[in-house]
Amino acid sequence: MADVKIEMKTAAYVCSGCGLGDKLDVGQLARIAQKEGKMALVRQHDFLCNSEGVQMIRDDIENEAVTHICIAACSRRAKTEAFNFPSVAMTRANLREGVIWVVAEGAAHDEVRQEMADDYVRMGCAELKKSRMPEGNPNHTQLKNLLVVGGGISGLTAAFEAAETGYEVILVEKQAQLGGWAGKLWKRAPYKTPYAEPQETGVAALAARVSAHPLITVHLNSTIAETAGAPGRFAVKLAQESGSITEVAVGAIVQATGFTTYDIAKLPELGGGLAHVVDQAGLEALAMAANGGVMKRADGREVKSVVFLQCAGQRDDSGQHLPYCSGHCCATSIKQAMYFKDANPDVNAVVVYDDLRVPGMGEDFYRSAQHKGVIFAKGKASSVTTESNGLKVNYKDLILDSGATIQADLVVLATGQVPSSGVDVILWDKLTKEADGGSIEAKQQKSELKSISILNLTYRQGPDVPKLKYGFADSHFICFPYETQRTGIYTAGPVRRPMDIMQATEDATGAALKAIQAAENASLGRAAHPRAGDLSYPIVRLEGCTQCKRCTVECPFGAIDEDERRFPVFNEQRCRRCGTCMGACPVRVISFENYSVDTVGNQIKAIEIPDEFSEKPRVLILACENDAYPALDMAGLSRIVYSAFVRIIPVRCLGSVNTIWITDALNSGYDGVMMMGCKKGDEYQCHFVKGSELAGYRMSKIGDTLTGMGLEPERVSSFEVAITDNAKVAGFINDYVAQLVEMGPSPMKGFG
Amino acid sequence: MTASIATSQTILVVGGGIGGMTAALEAAECGKQVILVERNATLGGRTALLYRYFPKMCHPTCGMEINLRRLKGNRNVRVMTMTEVLEVSGVRGDYTVKLKLSPRYVNANCTACGECAKAVETEIDNPYEYNLAKTRAAYLPHNMAYPMHYVLDPSIIGTADAEKARAACKYDAIELDMQEEIVEIKAGAIVWATGWKPYDAAKIQPYGYDRFANVITSVEFERFANPHGPTGGKLLRPSDGKEAKNIAFIQCAGSRDENHLRHCSRICCMASLKQTHYVREAYGDDAKSTIYYIDIRVIDRLEDFYLKVQQDPTVSFIKSKVAKIVEDKAGNPVLHGVDTEGYHRYATTHDLVVLAVGMEPETRGIKLPDDMLLDSSGFIEGSNLPAGVEGIYGAGAATSPLDVNRSVQSATAAALRAIQVVHKTSTVEGVR
Amino acid sequence: MSELNQKAVAKYENNFLREVEERVEDGEWVKMCMQCGVCAGSCPLGNAWEHSPQKLFRMIMAGKREEVLTSDAMWMCTSCYSCIVRCPRKLPITHIMHGLAHYSHRLELAPKGQPTRELARIFWQNLVKTGRVNELKFSLAVYFKDGFVQGIKNLLSMQGIALGLVKARRLNPMEIIGGHKCRDIGGIQKMLAKAREIEDRRQGFTS
Repeated sequence: MADVKIEMKTAAYVCSGCGLGDKLDVGQLARIAQKEGKMALVRQHDFLCNSEGVQMIRDDIENEAVTHICIAACSRRAKTEAFNFPSVAMTRANLREGVIWVVAEGAAHDEVRQEMADDYVRMGCAELKKSRMPEGNPNHTQLKNLLVVGGGISGLTAAFEAAETGYEVILVEKQAQLGGWAGKLWKRAPYKTPYAEPQETGVAALAARVSAHPLITVHLNSTIAETAGAPGRFAVKLAQESGSITEVAVGAIVQATGFTTYDIAKLPELGGGLAHVVDQAGLEALAMAANGGVMKRADGREVKSVVFLQCAGQRDDSGQHLPYCSGHCCATSIKQAMYFKDANPDVNAVVVYDDLRVPGMGEDFYRSAQHKGVIFAKGKASSVTTESNGLKVNYKDLILDSGATIQADLVVLATGQVPSSGVDVILWDKLTKEADGGSIEAKQQKSELKSISILNLTYRQGPDVPKLKYGFADSHFICFPYETQRTGIYTAGPVRRPMDIMQATEDATGAALKAIQAAENASLGRAAHPRAGDLSYPIVRLEGCTQCKRCTVECPFGAIDEDERRFPVFNEQRCRRCGTCMGACPVRVISFENYSVDTVGNQIKAIEIPDEFSEKPRVLILACENDAYPALDMAGLSRIVYSAFVRIIPVRCLGSVNTIWITDALNSGYDGVMMMGCKKGDEYQCHFVKGSELAGYRMSKIGDTLTGMGLEPERVSSFEVAITDNAKVAGFINDYVAQLVEMGPSPMKGFG
Repeated sequence: MTASIATSQTILVVGGGIGGMTAALEAAECGKQVILVERNATLGGRTALLYRYFPKMCHPTCGMEINLRRLKGNRNVRVMTMTEVLEVSGVRGDYTVKLKLSPRYVNANCTACGECAKAVETEIDNPYEYNLAKTRAAYLPHNMAYPMHYVLDPSIIGTADAEKARAACKYDAIELDMQEEIVEIKAGAIVWATGWKPYDAAKIQPYGYDRFANVITSVEFERFANPHGPTGGKLLRPSDGKEAKNIAFIQCAGSRDENHLRHCSRICCMASLKQTHYVREAYGDDAKSTIYYIDIRVIDRLEDFYLKVQQDPTVSFIKSKVAKIVEDKAGNPVLHGVDTEGYHRYATTHDLVVLAVGMEPETRGIKLPDDMLLDSSGFIEGSNLPAGVEGIYGAGAATSPLDVNRSVQSATAAALRAIQVVHKTSTVEGVR
Repeated sequence: MSELNQKAVAKYENNFLREVEERVEDGEWVKMCMQCGVCAGSCPLGNAWEHSPQKLFRMIMAGKREEVLTSDAMWMCTSCYSCIVRCPRKLPITHIMHGLAHYSHRLELAPKGQPTRELARIFWQNLVKTGRVNELKFSLAVYFKDGFVQGIKNLLSMQGIALGLVKARRLNPMEIIGGHKCRDIGGIQKMLAKAREIEDRRQGFTS
């Protein structure tokens, strides 16, 4: 590891405000920082976060050439405006939320309270000595242009909005013309007051503006043959229909590859396949042909009666069709029923629905259709059959609770959107393993799969953006709808989740921003969400690597590839800085400047372990910094008391926990280890996707090691802690400590 | 604070809820200068007061923690709480905005140690608990408050209580002579993310929200479910503190109703489905939730969640707009109406009624810039200026009744539009 | 089948909604119903009828002409206006109910002997005769509408109230002979005939 350029000078600042001075012997803390922590400079202050205290620290940085500071005061989550020293490495010893606010009041607890504080100061100093100022990924990139894949309304919007912000865009569309599905619509649903009439789609005008934009280059009849690289340096091969390849380099990617319609041939019971039974797209084609005049069927006969069947092949719980709702179809049928009514009010137009889903101002559009005489029947269609020159729709009228039939010249099935999201990378991964094991079949399946890939990423973890449920390449996070699992690649529009034009337009605009942001961040060597702006990055000591591939397999963001010798190739710009690779590495060659096996390991080893006769167990808590650590902090804020025998270390993600920390802790005489992370499973809450799941998996393997050490497996325990669990977490701690007391001291004590 | 802190390159974001925070952070992480103003004492808005999100049942404060960390680590955003926009003048690329800063009576010295709250005796209704609980008149809005500073309720200023608070503070953080301030700032573009408010349920006369203790709103129910809320997370009914196991959820309370709100508020179906989980979580198989609805509007992938709730034997669905609620002698609300699927009359007794109240834009009652275009419900539809001249953009629930996910989507889009304005302004002026 | 009814069937074929829109007072509102059922639940006479307003509206849209026009539900309406006040779509439900009752009466489809209908018929006959309602004759006609024996029973049961009304000078027994009339009964009847002509034209009974 390259050493720091300037000489390291450490300083510790011990605050006695907020009652710290009353409850603790701060003099002793200062002495510990100096003697044990080996801090070059130690100062005390009775109100460290006020302007005077902050100035004192600034002066030291300025005049004393201090490069590393440990602030022994409140939580790292508190007073961040005051303790903002961007030019130095900093650690925070949490004496307030972590000690005096959570340890029971009274002189009886003075001793354990002080011991806890002493240890946190030791830990702060120990961490500091192994920390370095993150300098940012030195592999800076320059590219800030965007690639937009897909020339439908989402892609056009993303391209146009990005270009209007001053960024160059390359737009790729596999068809011969721009516009996508929206371009094939006669009209679209309204999205402005009075929400009463179908509107011009505006797609042609937008396509024209995109084509004419000086910052946009359009490639029609083109697909992506290969995408390599990372944010800020994607190298993309565009394949023309003719077979010629164009190579382009881009900073970030918006994937707006839209959807296909669910095949109505799969719905024979609803007349799919019969003449004059069309899907909504088919109806748009008829409307285009009618050009505002009376609506005619494919056989040229004027339509006098039309029935729309909602949720056709959607909201299906039988497992045969789409289980989800495509959201737009109710408004689309309303709009299409208006095509008929507007041309000829005498047409009988009936919409058979289960729940009429027109949220927001869509309610006015519904009213407008009713006003025009469109009939809405709450019901469930059972069959559509041919009858003389028309069709007969059988359905159950749910209001009248009786069977009913309607004669119709035309039936429209409101089928759903099926995302065009390419290869399922989980299947890909499975096939890769089988192919590596020699399966020829798997190899063949892989190459077939590759033909449907959209991005053809050269990533170790597969050629497309991972899909969530039902094939949508969506974000898993409610607060962060754009977070795919591939950094710098943002999905927009119906490929992400079913949506209408209005939402797709909004979505694409947001995705354009995220792509711009990713390119900007990469150019500055910074992380993207959720550790936006983090300048630390994974550093690997390849000479120690055993090519075990755990890091390349477990990285939740596909950031790590493998070279031909199977060594990991880190693509820092794809990295989100969660540390999962660091946690995975059995030989501990991966680290961050300010977060490493050593920064944490050193803290673990820094504390003083009382002997086995003291009746003072020591419990290490590794807490997810996003949920568990704030919950512990807020326990302090609410003055919820928990055992003073615990020592808490925040971790970026439980996925970053290296088992060496656990074995080190137990070897040095800790009585137990608590791992606190987010909820796992289908509704996981980990913002690094599978941190707690990985931790759980790794810990399940640690049992043998513990037995080998002569320890009970219960000495390492995992807990799911949500951010609101501040009372619960105290209960977890107290119960666990009680359990350990029962179990008796660790036999490892004294050998550490 | 002076006018010099902002320039025509600054993006002003009005409203510090999830929409405003998102717009501000997304713009700032693109390298733009942002001022984020919030009327209340803390960021977080209404989402910070929710217990869980649908459909993941995760906690809003989790995302808020991430957003606050983004904010703390980003020097491009300047946050001004207790600040309202009084007036906007000027044109795209060159707005002058008059802001009113209300006194917090607590300065940045505050360490959130809580000594002032101990000293003060006056109690006030806690607005961050929808007034369901009391708090001391020196208080921290909530555990996730940002800035993490206490606030003094104006009602105690000039009283002995205020003096006690000041005396209790060891850090000179309490300034009782703090005055309201009016400042002017410059901004190139404005994102208007003023969010929503729950419809006033008392206006729905037949439901008796103002007369019956055991008729509450969905936002209040969120507080009841929250372990930090007024009941410590227990679902107890207000009249007698009895466990509310048999709960009715009434959909479209105010929404889809021309006597109240014309629009469908979009989120309420999912919110009630989510809240049935709270009931089940609290009482297991003894729970009983009944949803009275017109249409269940859970679009796109959220359908999953609906399916799951339908499979829960403790939850039943009745297609009916409840006609009226009366109270029996034991204080139980009795719902009257007709199940329209086949026509069945009911008079059903529940322990508690939760009204899934509609979302009303907060635009009403705020003086908006002249060029903003509102729809018939008061949501921001856009600008009445021609395209290319507008510089003020709606974001989040101020533009439509949106859930958090879509609010963030909307706010991210609005941030880009605002960036376009300052980009174009800078290109023209050659600032870049 | 009455002639008016036959003509209506011929004119509207299977489009009952159109028929209601054109011929029933406020009938054009029926299609705006969204089946929430708040009217059904709000009606104080809800237990007394077979079809709720919202259900009638759905039946109209489903073309259930016979069932709607022979229903007695709309005859139960007492004009309390609860449904109108609460209807989220602001449908003038009370008016539509009366409109439907009136229309079914005109087509002679309304249930025979339906008490409200009979009461209205007696009221109307009483009114048009003199231009004023003769309360005594009206009451007697109502009491005796179901036969002589029932009439006597009704009379006896109302005896006390009748005497009270006489004492309070609210009822004049002398009205039994003739009773007082309007000054220009011919004019009134002409006026009513004109009104009917306008109404018939408006509702499409005549061209």
